[in-house]
Amino acid sequence: MDRIAQVVGISPVEIRRRNFLKPGQTTTTQQVIREEINLNHLLDRALELSGYAAKKTRFAEENRDGMRKKGIGIAAFLHGAGFTGSGERYLNSLVGVEAGADGNVRVLVSSAEFGQGTNTVLCQIAAEALGLPYESVAIAQPDTTVVPNSGPTVASRTAMIVGKLVQSAAKGIKETLTKTGVLRDDYTREQFCAACREYIAAHGALKSYARYEAPGDVYWDDEKYRGEAYAAFAWAVYVAEVTVDLTTYAVTVDDFVALQEVGKVLHPVLAEGQITGGVAQAIGFALYEKVVWQNGRMINNQMTNYIMPTSVDLPPIRVFFEELGNVHGAHGAKGIGELPMDGPAPAIVNAVEDAIGVRFHSIPLLPEDLFEALRPASVEQEAPSSTRGAA
Amino acid sequence: MNPSPETGAKCEVLFTVNGEAKKVLAHPMERLLDVLRNELELTGTKEGCGEGECGSCSVLLDGMLVNSCLVPVAQASGASIVTIEGISAHALMNPLQEAFLECGGAQCGICTPGMILAAVHLLEKKPEPALADIREGLAGNLCRCTGYMQIFEAVARAARRRVRK
Repeated sequence: MDRIAQVVGISPVEIRRRNFLKPGQTTTTQQVIREEINLNHLLDRALELSGYAAKKTRFAEENRDGMRKKGIGIAAFLHGAGFTGSGERYLNSLVGVEAGADGNVRVLVSSAEFGQGTNTVLCQIAAEALGLPYESVAIAQPDTTVVPNSGPTVASRTAMIVGKLVQSAAKGIKETLTKTGVLRDDYTREQFCAACREYIAAHGALKSYARYEAPGDVYWDDEKYRGEAYAAFAWAVYVAEVTVDLTTYAVTVDDFVALQEVGKVLHPVLAEGQITGGVAQAIGFALYEKVVWQNGRMINNQMTNYIMPTSVDLPPIRVFFEELGNVHGAHGAKGIGELPMDGPAPAIVNAVEDAIGVRFHSIPLLPEDLFEALRPASVEQEAPSSTRGAA
Repeated sequence: MNPSPETGAKCEVLFTVNGEAKKVLAHPMERLLDVLRNELELTGTKEGCGEGECGSCSVLLDGMLVNSCLVPVAQASGASIVTIEGISAHALMNPLQEAFLECGGAQCGICTPGMILAAVHLLEKKPEPALADIREGLAGNLCRCTGYMQIFEAVARAARRRVRK
């Protein structure tokens, strides 16, 4: 985007403003944007949070002298939640919710918890749907003899797709109890427990299942590869501020603003953790983590020579959310797992270009890469004293 | 699991682990990490990279924060070792645990025992650390999940709570 802006002679901000997708417009797969997303608003807020305009001017001024050049760059992007195209339809996920005679509820899904907070969020959704305290809900171990196939834990689908099914299945428990007359619409936890006990004594196990159904307005043509590629998108504008040290050729990220619209944020602490973790990994992807292949193998497969960011390498990662809500996900949630991996590298490459006027076409940007790219240029530009002063 | 080195070369090593005197029979070059996990069944100490880069096997050896994957057990002879299990009685444990929970300081959990030990080590030296001190104090402990920000917040919060008490 920044290259196009340069060619047509407008700013990186303006090129994005003029080309943002708007509700009613279509994507490359002819998907109509139905979400009420206002990307210009997202951009304005990200620019304000990062102090973009003032920094852009100040850096241009300060970069005239010295060996440390500063730059600021933007990435505006989107990430589809759930499997692409017909993926979710083929997966045909099934989710269960079970209530015991003691009134405790178990969520039955094949989604795996590995620290991202799936268990917490799915239990929250079930508790909310049943009007019970969070402590009344637990998650079953994802043992396939116990849990139905709710699909794999991938594709930024768990909170949105599986979460929605948990919500439906939990509502099914409530409906079963109210329809059989053992529970009124308005109930306390004690009444819920008594109703479960009564129902189970009379009818046996109390389980409710929900199977994925594609929303009516989501259609994908596998032949032409056209249509609704995703039921929803997460939208984001990220801003990276960098310093390029022309003595060491190292790039450091000094500040990072990650603003995203992800529908309803189900758990603010966990959601922020997903974003900071993703951004940190993507900063590594942009600046450190070079995979070296030889004979089909990664030869730098040790932490000694595959370098990932440590606690002193990262900038403050400042995370902000917009919540527009989304009809497809549980309580309006969309996926967030993969989103933060998309934006940091382009924002950083743009910031590096802003700092030193050199555009890179690959990542990671190691000091060696900067050295190589700057060598001929610095020889040619020897005459003006710009980069020759003492550091 | 590491295959045990040949039995004939084993020797007796005496040290203190979490306040208790221990005697193990081990090859002198066996990693302290393996002795802790396999012989003493203290599996709270995690192996990450096994080459001293990631810090997930951190333990305190005579008050120093070390990577137990790089310490031959013979070198720990006569030393006092504290593992994550031994930290549970430490005055900092509750504030740290609470703060890690509240701030989202742990995700997958593999780095967490080492992070906690590094945090205890830091806060013992600097009860009121600045952000830069926290970053420096945890620099030997890699975390892939959190992006560190919530860990910094947790350590700062635990420090504030402890200072107030």
